[in-house]
Amino acid sequence: MNKIKNQRVINFSLSFIYLGLVSFFIEHLPLPFIIMLGMLCGWNIYLTLKYKQKPNAWLANGLAAIALIIMLSSIGFKDTVVLFVAMLLLSCVFKLLQAKTKQHYQLIITLTFFSLSAVYLFSQTIFTTLIISTLYVLNFAVLGLLESSHSLKLSSKQSAKIMLLAFPLAVVLLLFLPKLPAFWQLPGPKMAQTGLSEQVEPFDIAKLSNSDELVFRAKFDDNSPSTPYYWRAIVHDEFDGKAWKTSSFLKQAMMLPSQNSSNGNTTQYSIIAEPAMADWLYGIGYANSDNENVISNSVGLLRKKQYKSKVLQYSVSTEPLSSKKLNNIEQRFYKTLTVSNNQKSYQLAQQLKNSSANADELFNKLLDYFSQNNFSYTLTPTPMRGDDTLDQFMFNNKRGFCGHYASAAAFIFRSAGVPARVVSGYLGGEYNQSNDYITVRQYDAHAWVEVYTNAGWRIFDATAVVAPERLNGSLSQSAALNDEFKNNINFGLVSLSNYAAINWLRLELENLDYQWSSWVLGFDKNKQQDLLASLFGNTYIWLVPLGVIIVLILSFSAYFIYINRPKVTTKQPPLVNEYYQLLKWANKQAINYPENAPPVQTLLHISQHAPYAEQQITAFCHLFEQVRYARQPFTKERKNQAKDLIKLIKSIKQRNL
Amino acid sequence: MQHIVTTIIDDLSTVIFGKQQQIKLALACLFSEGHLLIEDLPGMGKTTLSHALAAVLGLSYQRIQFTSDLLPADIIGTNIFNNKEHSFSFHKGPIFSQVVLADEINRAGPKTQSSLLEAMEEQQVTVDGEKYLLPTPFFVIATQNPLYQAGTYPLPESQLDRFLMRISLGFPPKNAEKRLLLNNQKRDYSQLPQRINQQQLKQIQESIANITLSAPVVDYIIELVTYTREAQSLSASLSPRASMALAKSAKAWAYIEGRDFVLPEDVQAVFSSVCQHRLGLHSEAGNNQIADILKHVLVPV
Repeated sequence: MNKIKNQRVINFSLSFIYLGLVSFFIEHLPLPFIIMLGMLCGWNIYLTLKYKQKPNAWLANGLAAIALIIMLSSIGFKDTVVLFVAMLLLSCVFKLLQAKTKQHYQLIITLTFFSLSAVYLFSQTIFTTLIISTLYVLNFAVLGLLESSHSLKLSSKQSAKIMLLAFPLAVVLLLFLPKLPAFWQLPGPKMAQTGLSEQVEPFDIAKLSNSDELVFRAKFDDNSPSTPYYWRAIVHDEFDGKAWKTSSFLKQAMMLPSQNSSNGNTTQYSIIAEPAMADWLYGIGYANSDNENVISNSVGLLRKKQYKSKVLQYSVSTEPLSSKKLNNIEQRFYKTLTVSNNQKSYQLAQQLKNSSANADELFNKLLDYFSQNNFSYTLTPTPMRGDDTLDQFMFNNKRGFCGHYASAAAFIFRSAGVPARVVSGYLGGEYNQSNDYITVRQYDAHAWVEVYTNAGWRIFDATAVVAPERLNGSLSQSAALNDEFKNNINFGLVSLSNYAAINWLRLELENLDYQWSSWVLGFDKNKQQDLLASLFGNTYIWLVPLGVIIVLILSFSAYFIYINRPKVTTKQPPLVNEYYQLLKWANKQAINYPENAPPVQTLLHISQHAPYAEQQITAFCHLFEQVRYARQPFTKERKNQAKDLIKLIKSIKQRNL
Repeated sequence: MQHIVTTIIDDLSTVIFGKQQQIKLALACLFSEGHLLIEDLPGMGKTTLSHALAAVLGLSYQRIQFTSDLLPADIIGTNIFNNKEHSFSFHKGPIFSQVVLADEINRAGPKTQSSLLEAMEEQQVTVDGEKYLLPTPFFVIATQNPLYQAGTYPLPESQLDRFLMRISLGFPPKNAEKRLLLNNQKRDYSQLPQRINQQQLKQIQESIANITLSAPVVDYIIELVTYTREAQSLSASLSPRASMALAKSAKAWAYIEGRDFVLPEDVQAVFSSVCQHRLGLHSEAGNNQIADILKHVLVPV
């Protein structure tokens, strides 16, 4: 068994790494399991600090059995990714509790590299990367400690150096290595996120306004479309009396690819979508994307091809809503109403219809109706129960938010025989000036109505007249709703955005994260191709990854040859280097000196055969004797003298030639 | 002090022609307080050299001719009963002298040989439980006939090890022998002037002890002894005592060469004399093997 010199520090550092890891997984692993892991790490730290013995095998095995039960009962077998990550963490922490030999620690340190990488299955932000990199450095340092008697400080310094050295390599790999399809990728772990739902029940969106989670970011290429931005995500076409849903017919229609009828009137922009469980993506108007992971469907919506627990960056070209024309079958489809409740609203619809000449007039009359009848916008409406919820809202409460208005308006349009559908998605977003992009968060979720009039599809948003400020910018910036909004939102930087400094910090951090998402996480095959094409031109672009691989292989081989080189030349004692320089010089001068003669004898021999430099060589010989054999101190003067002599001797050669 | 050493070498060269190297080695051996073994055919000047050395160093001198019937008491001395005083009194043998020439040491029996060797090691003798200190400095210069000659008892390796150096004079060069024959005068080493006194000898010994032995030279000595330990062709290898002897002799050589630090060349100069007898090699073939070792072992820079 090898005695380990720094066992306490190693133990402590590894426990610390796992404690850090556990805190990373708080969101993703069940709480009982997290608490258990945290306690095990804490116990190990306690044992280390108090110089206590490690638990014996019986105790450890017993505890492991209990831990296994806790793990399986809290995680279950369904989510295999989470289960395997949990098993990895658990086994490492238990091994740490028992580790005694060097081999044990080597095993743990190796597994720790895997455990640290596992965090990326769940989170890929720049902050994650920073913290995980730090823990990596620490783990490397622990590995160094295991092999030496260095202090943790020195070892950390060395390992940080290693990481810094590896950084350029990482950049090269990111930029030039071929982006293979992620065949190795695990099935996406379940996201415990709130998001839009397939059916619009008004309360859903109120709940969303509690979350400041990032949904996506958009950057317009040149000319941004006119505000407000209605980011479409889902279309709901079927009303069941309470909620608007997506009918199976429409679901099928959504699978159809879009008919690309570009009339030139398009807007270009790119979007970085955060990972989510749902397959929908975001775009304004009729969106089209040429990204290979994105489907553009016939309703003008974007869908993911696969669920991925990864940030997805895609570019969109958008056509105005009004450019799409409906045929008669489709028009009939969007007029269908299968339910017969909410009679009062139905009558209102008939009333409005009778007083309007066409759909456009009806559109304006309904807007007027909302603006003139004391409707108000609130994020906390009184709950409405019973069958006729729309009637209750329209005629009694008159307080609600987008879901209520959209739901009611679509019902009224259809009752009046005008094709209409509810669309949910996000409205607006926060504009970031320094990098010219828009950040959309969950609290920007919105629902509105699309009405088919003579002019084609039009957006009907009653919120526009009830709470006009909601249309501009983000909900977080809306002054009228500010208090209500901030009371509802989870505690976070957004809730503190009244303070200028904090707001500035928040925007800066967001910027950093945006750059990270757009340049590192979103750096996919297309972006790579663009970059390489701009660097190397289009013709020989395929040679670049090949070349990079060859260069990498060559530099790795060179590195290994370098570290395995014979160690003669490492740290020569004084003057030995100079002596060898002189021998080399003699070789060039074709002076044959006796092999394996003592240095002084060799020098004398050389000086005799190079009479033009005899004086200098003799002087060097004397210096050599003094320093090497008479133990005279190798002072700076002597050092310079030696350097000068060597220089002089070399220059004499040139003069002679 | 250096010029005295040069003078001594010159003086000795008037007695032993053409053997300056051997004279210097013998001096180095004595200056570093070692005992000297001279091996050669009879009539090569072994005895002459040892006489001359004693004379120039101004030390008391005794010669013991070793024969097969020589007894330890003949060397060390013996207790004799004094009839008048009714007690034993110790009669010192010839060993109680600063320079002892043990002539043809390998002709005596092992027991006698070993009594001398004990004295060399301990600088004292024990007779009937009584200890008697030998004078300082105490040098033994032993001569030895080649082992193939009749009536010799070879010295065991452990005892050979007691001698710091073994030198052999070898035949004189032609012109030296010519000079020897032309020179009518009897070579009288007793006529050689005494060049130094005991005080000065001590000073020289101290200066030699203070000579700088640097790391590269130590490395070289280590390389050399390691080579003899690893080489398959050698029957014996060099002990740490041998490496110490090597260091000591190299210092003395450096002193004689007029330096206060040791060069690898000094080690090479004394290597053969210090190591050949310890490695169990004999002169003629041994010289080649020693040259091989020096050729094979790289000199550290």
